[in-house]
Amino acid sequence: MYRESGYGADFFVPIQYDEKKCIGCNLCVDICQVDVLLPSERKGENPIVAFPGECWYCGSCVMACKTDAIRLVHPLMNQVRWVEKDSLGSSL
Amino acid sequence: MKKNEWPYELKYGEKKEYSCDVLILGGGIAGCMAALGAREKGLNVILVEKGAVAASGAGGSGCDHWESAATNPCSKVTPEELVDMMLRDNKGFNNGISHYIECREGYDRLLDIEKMGGKIRDTEDEFKGADFRDEDSKLMFAYDYKNKFTIRIWGTTFKTAMAKELKRVGVNVVERVMVTSLLTDQGKVGGKVVGATGIHTRTGEFMVFKAKASVMAMSRPARIWLFNPAMVGLSEFRPTQCIGSGHAMGWRAGAAFNMMEKSVRAEFSAAGKSYPPYGAGNNHNTWYPASILDANGKTVPYADRDGRILTDYKDRCLPANGQKFFMKGGGIDGGIYEIEGPETISVEGNPEYKLPLYADLSDLPELERKVIWGMMVGEEGKTKVPILKNYTKAGFDPEKHVLQCYGSGWKSATFLSDERQLFGLPGGFMNDWHLKSNLEGLYVAGDALFASDCYGHAAATGHYAGRHAADYVKEAYEENENGTSEFTRGEISQAQVEAEWTRVLKPVMKLESGYSANQGYRWQEVNMAISKTMQHYCGEVRTEDMLNTGLAQLERIEAELSERSIADNPHELTRLLEVMDILTVSKLIIQASKARKYSVAPLCFTRGDEAKEQRKDQTFLVIKKTEDGIDAREVALDYYGDLKTNYEEFNKEYIEAEGARHV
Repeated sequence: MYRESGYGADFFVPIQYDEKKCIGCNLCVDICQVDVLLPSERKGENPIVAFPGECWYCGSCVMACKTDAIRLVHPLMNQVRWVEKDSLGSSL
Repeated sequence: MKKNEWPYELKYGEKKEYSCDVLILGGGIAGCMAALGAREKGLNVILVEKGAVAASGAGGSGCDHWESAATNPCSKVTPEELVDMMLRDNKGFNNGISHYIECREGYDRLLDIEKMGGKIRDTEDEFKGADFRDEDSKLMFAYDYKNKFTIRIWGTTFKTAMAKELKRVGVNVVERVMVTSLLTDQGKVGGKVVGATGIHTRTGEFMVFKAKASVMAMSRPARIWLFNPAMVGLSEFRPTQCIGSGHAMGWRAGAAFNMMEKSVRAEFSAAGKSYPPYGAGNNHNTWYPASILDANGKTVPYADRDGRILTDYKDRCLPANGQKFFMKGGGIDGGIYEIEGPETISVEGNPEYKLPLYADLSDLPELERKVIWGMMVGEEGKTKVPILKNYTKAGFDPEKHVLQCYGSGWKSATFLSDERQLFGLPGGFMNDWHLKSNLEGLYVAGDALFASDCYGHAAATGHYAGRHAADYVKEAYEENENGTSEFTRGEISQAQVEAEWTRVLKPVMKLESGYSANQGYRWQEVNMAISKTMQHYCGEVRTEDMLNTGLAQLERIEAELSERSIADNPHELTRLLEVMDILTVSKLIIQASKARKYSVAPLCFTRGDEAKEQRKDQTFLVIKKTEDGIDAREVALDYYGDLKTNYEEFNKEYIEAEGARHV
C-alpha cells in the first residue's frame, strides 16, 4: 500500500532510529504533523520512515522520544560550516 | 516495486457525521486559541486538525519571540503607535484590523498561555541581571531594549500546553483529518457557511461537520512557484502539509480575498535552496544582535538608520537619536526611516571585506550569547534538535567558533526574480471588524487572513475570531428562536456532500478498481507542473496575455488531474488533495493579477503591459468567485476606520471582562 522506495527521496534518511534504544511506543508517529512515519508491523520495533522527503525537520519526534532513540539530521547539502574564530585570516 | 501493507484500517466507503455550534478549521496557534475563545462562551466546539494538535502548525514545535506585545507592563509603545508604523511601513497595504488586535490583545493571550503551562518569563533567574530582562516581571525582551515590546518566549512549551487546555475545557478535537471543502447553504457559491467536509489522513474515512459558525484557521498558501520533489519538507518555511487549503476551499465557496496578486522574490527556505533557517550565520531575528566578521576576522560594523557607526554592542539594542522605537532586529527590507533598526553595513562588492562572512557570538556579553545560542535557538520551531542539539554534539562552541553566513540578512540563499513566494505579509481572506469573511457564518484567523504574520498575530486573531463567531451563534440563533430575526439557519446540501465525497476519493478508487498505476499522475508530478507554469506565466512581471495563457494551462492540468490522478493510500491522497488546492490557489493568484491592471510597488506587483494613463489611487482589490464568474471591487486602504474607536466599539464586553481577568 505504500512504496518503500518509490519517492525518489530514499537517498537520504532524515530520521534514524537506534534499534537498541527504541521500544516501539510510537509516540513519534503520534506527534509528527507531517505523518512521515508509519508504525512498524512488528510490535516493539521502531517505526518506518515511510515518507522521508516530506520531513520538515522540526524535531518533534526527537522531543517526544522517551528513550533518546531518534537522530534527526539535515541532508548533506544543508550541513553548514563553522571555523575557529582564531583561524580567520590565516587558513583561508 | 515493493508493496507494503498499509498499517491503518482503510475506510474509503465510510462516512462519519459531526455537529457543533462553532467549528474550528485548523489546530495551529490560531485554531487552538479560536477554539478556546469560542468555548469560553459556553458553546459546543469542534476543532479539526490534519496533524496532532500538540505539535502541529507553523508554530507547533516552537517559537522564540512574540512580537508586538504593546500592552505588556514594560512596553513603552502603544498599540496605536505600533500599528501606525506597520501600516506606513507597507504604504497602507496591510491588515489594520488584525494587527491592531495583535497589538491590543497579544499580551492577554500570552498570559492565557502562561496559565495553561507555557513558559513566558525567566522564572529560574537564568538570565538575572541581563540588559534584556525586566527584574520585576522576569519578562525578557528582544531587539529594542528601551521600548520592550518583543518578548522572548519558551515556545516549545506552548502547543503541548494548548493541547492539554483544549482537552481540559471540553473542546472536541478531531485529529488526522484534512478539511477538504466548506459546505454552503443549498450548496451555493456565496451562501452561508453551514459546515465542512474532511477526510481522515490515515483511514480515508469521509467526514461531514455541521456547524452554526466556522472559523477558518489554516495556513497561507505555499509551493506555488517553488517545489523540490525530493525534499518537499524543505520547500517552504511552513510545514509540509500547510499549503493553503483554506484559501482554496474559501475561494471555491465564494469567500472574498485581498492582496492575492502580491508575491515576493523567494526569501527563505524555498525548494531546498536555503541553508537551515536560524541554523546558518546571520544577525537577524533569533540571532540579533550577533557580530558579523569577514573571512579575515575583521568586524563588519553596525550602523543606525542615520549611518552612525555603533561601536558598543549595547547601542545595537537601542533606538537612534531622536527615534521613538525600532521595529525589528537586523533592519527591514525597504523599511521606512521612522522604524529602521540598527543593521550591519552592506559589504557587497566592497574590496575591504573578504567573503565569506561569519556570525560571531564570542564577543557578546555572556548572557547575550547564552540567550541566543541556548534559549532562542533552543526554542525556535525548527532549531532545538537539528541545530542546537546537533551542532553542539558536533563540537560547535559559540565562545570559540564562528558560523558561516550564506546570503545577505537572514536569507541564506539567493533566488531568481520569477522564483516567488508568499512570504512576509501575503494575501488572504478579506475581513471586517468581527474578523468575519464576506460569507455569513465564516470567521477567519491567523495565517488565513490577508497580511498575516507571526505567532502573536495568530494567537490574538484566533481568540478574537473564536469569540466573535460564538457571539454570532448566540445572538443570531437565540433571536431566531424568539422569531425576531430574519436570519437564515441554512441547510447542508446532500448533493454538495456527495459530489465532494466522490471528488476526494476518486484518485484512490481508480487504483482499487484496477486502473493501471503507470497511467496516472502522482502528486509530486502535478506540483512540479504547477510551479513551472506559475514561474513562467505568473512570475515577476505579469501581462494579460501571459496570465490568460497560464490560466488555460492550469485548467488543462486540472482537467487531466480529474481524470488521471492517482494515490496509493490515504497519506498520498492527502498530499494529492493538497496539490489540487495549490492549483486552485494558483488560479486565484492569476485572477487577482488579471484584475490589477497596474503595478503596485508595496505589493511587489509589476504589470508589464500597464497603461500609464489608467493609473488610479492605490486601493485594495478584493476578488471573489460568484455563481456567474469573478467579481472584483476596489476597497479603500483605510476601510477599517479609526482603529481604536472601532475596536472599542466592537469589543465592549471583552474589554470589561479582560480588565478584570488579568488584574
